[in-house]
Amino acid sequence: MAEFSTSTKDVGEVSVIYLQGYLDAHTAPALENTFSNLVEKGKYQTVVNFKELAYISSAGLGVFMAFIEKMRENNGDIKLSSMNDKVFNIFDLLGFPLLYEIYKTEDEAINKYIESKNLEK
Amino acid sequence: MNFELSRLKINAKFQFFIGAAIILFFFKFFIPSSENTVSLIINELLVGITIASFIFFLMEWIHIKKVNPLSLVMNIGILTALIFFFIIFSNPLLGELSSRTQSAPLRFDLIYSLVSFIYSTIILGSVSYIFLAFRELYFLKQKRNVSTYFNTMVVFIILSSYSTLLQQNPDLLYIKDTFFIITILLVILNSIKISWIAFIIKKEKKILLFLSIIIAVLFVLNLAGNSDSSTNYQILTKFSPAFLQFLKINMIYGAIYFSILFFTTLFHIPTAEAFDRKAQEVSSLQYFSKLITEVFDFDDLVDTIAEIASKVSSADASWIAWKDNDVLKSIGNKSIGFLDADLLTTYAKDTKKNIEVSGTEFLALEKFQKKLQLSEPFYFISFSPLKMHNEAKGFLFTARKNNFAFDDEDKNALDTFSDYASVAIENSHLFEESIVKERLEKELDLAREVQRKILPAKNPDYKDLNISSVFIPAFEVGGDYYDFFEIDSDNFGFVIADVSGKGISAAFIMAEVKGIFESLSKTIRSPKEILVKANEILQRTLDRKSFVSAAYGLIDLKNETLKISRAGHCPVLLIRNNIAENMKPSGIGLGLNFTEHFANTLEELKIDLEENDTIVLYTDGITEAKNKNLEDFGSGLFEKILLENCDRNADEISNKVIHEVTLFSQNNPQHDDITLVILKWKQILKNDGEKEWQNSVLQLKT
Repeated sequence: MAEFSTSTKDVGEVSVIYLQGYLDAHTAPALENTFSNLVEKGKYQTVVNFKELAYISSAGLGVFMAFIEKMRENNGDIKLSSMNDKVFNIFDLLGFPLLYEIYKTEDEAINKYIESKNLEK
Repeated sequence: MNFELSRLKINAKFQFFIGAAIILFFFKFFIPSSENTVSLIINELLVGITIASFIFFLMEWIHIKKVNPLSLVMNIGILTALIFFFIIFSNPLLGELSSRTQSAPLRFDLIYSLVSFIYSTIILGSVSYIFLAFRELYFLKQKRNVSTYFNTMVVFIILSSYSTLLQQNPDLLYIKDTFFIITILLVILNSIKISWIAFIIKKEKKILLFLSIIIAVLFVLNLAGNSDSSTNYQILTKFSPAFLQFLKINMIYGAIYFSILFFTTLFHIPTAEAFDRKAQEVSSLQYFSKLITEVFDFDDLVDTIAEIASKVSSADASWIAWKDNDVLKSIGNKSIGFLDADLLTTYAKDTKKNIEVSGTEFLALEKFQKKLQLSEPFYFISFSPLKMHNEAKGFLFTARKNNFAFDDEDKNALDTFSDYASVAIENSHLFEESIVKERLEKELDLAREVQRKILPAKNPDYKDLNISSVFIPAFEVGGDYYDFFEIDSDNFGFVIADVSGKGISAAFIMAEVKGIFESLSKTIRSPKEILVKANEILQRTLDRKSFVSAAYGLIDLKNETLKISRAGHCPVLLIRNNIAENMKPSGIGLGLNFTEHFANTLEELKIDLEENDTIVLYTDGITEAKNKNLEDFGSGLFEKILLENCDRNADEISNKVIHEVTLFSQNNPQHDDITLVILKWKQILKNDGEKEWQNSVLQLKT
């Protein structure tokens, strides 16, 4: 199978995770590690950029389920962005749009965090 | 067989020797002093035969035992010492006896005959053995065929010995002297060829140096003690002058041989260590190359590698720094504690930029700051990369406590050795992987078995509903599940689900899901309610990462309606009037959300069934089936095939779909389970068209 990799970038207080390649049962642990690291560092406001992701399997989706509660408990979230149609279709079928905020672009997702912060003030 | 034969040969030779000795004894007994020439010659011949038979017997015996040069030398030493003591003590102990008979030469003295015979026989035995030992030493480790030299010498020794028969005649004395001189020359020539010295280890060479000088001195002393006036001389002259000559030649041989041996050994000592080490390297590498094919347990292998590395590089300690999550940990420590090993590893890492080295490197510990923290003093360390797939997965370390730095030879040895070690470690990993793989395969077999038992064995049979189902498991069980519930005569329920994840864990969740749907379908009619309840039940058992996509439908056979709810599953397709419609009521997958949000977002769709309606349930194994370019089969192609075949019966449609999917994804392994369920409502067989055509043909004919 094709490889999978992640990289993380901090935009202000928001951590953006970039996914690349094929996310399935075999590569899911890599993404789990990325999330665990963010949790360890206390970074709960995350945006996942799916632009370079070619495929996601059910095990890949499970990773988001594993961390969403933790993030939300700590005033954070996992916002999803920049999905191609195929990947979005998989999320859509499972009803993820009802559970997660999915945005067209990474900036939209980041702005959402900033907006909600401003609202709090 | 062979062994038996050689035993027999030995026995025969021994008997021959005993026979010869007994004849000699009786001859001596009855003709004590032989003055006439005939009896003298007979006497000498008998002695010669006895010696020869004894030597031949010993030769067989010695060949059965393993020949070790050092033990041969030891034996020679002991026998020489024995002869030495015999000669020394013969004077005071036997002197009087000897002189008594000399004064009355014609008187028969039983005691003297007996004692002198035993004395002579012991000397004879010892000298024979010594001679044989010389022969063995001569042929030891000789590469070329050199037996001619030795045999010539033997011939001259015999000639020289028997020439003593001529000594009564002073005119012929020159013959004896000539033979003697030639023999001594040959002895010197043959003593120079000592080729076995190089093959013994340094420690043995040191012992040999010591032994050879003592033995050489003993031989010289024996030679000197054998003067004409000594009792020994008196006794042996009476016994056999030829044997006395033989003894003399052997003593000279010994003196020369061991003197030369002493100097040869002396010159070999400085190079002994290098020779030893080369030999050890070779044997270590041989041992190790054998090891590669035998040791598969990683821990055992690491221990052995460290042990041999120590030997190969003459180091005092060794260990392997193995990468574990990018941290170097010391394993297989030999003669070094892990604290010391870790300290030294860290030092090497800091000094050599994360030790990205291609070959063996050496490091002196002069500037090592934490040297005092070491529990033992080390002066030099070496480290060689252990590579797997061109990546250094670890390093082989050795350390020396003495002040001798590693040299180029050590580098070569360690380079070669670490290459071997890398291959061995890689082998053991592959072996381990294959075991894990086998276990996984067994597990997957079990999972597939579970799945097979969970799925319905046969499709229900209804008058108005034609049902077909196909399930193709993937190698890694995908967690697909479908089921039919014949609730009562009017209600037919069906479910299709896909458990997240794969393998045995998916199979277990699947079994649970089956239980849930089976019990819920009996009491609840509404698909929405069933899914809401199923979600609640699953909350107790599903972990956060797992979820189940499902679609549940209920057909009311009497009222001809279909109710359907979908929890995150692929849409249910309805093929009607040559149009494929995705029935996709909203709904979140089971296990993704346990709040009222789940129920609030879950819709239930209700349609009235029409004749020829085709309802298609599937899992993403179909739409995501991939060809060799990793392109999806896709829902477009899927729908197209369904539409093209929608007027066929359920089995024909599903066969067609599976056929197309298989064609599409050939040469690419199936990654997910494939499930396809087709429900055909009130199919009207379109035989009319066919009949019309047949009619027209008939009409044409008439």
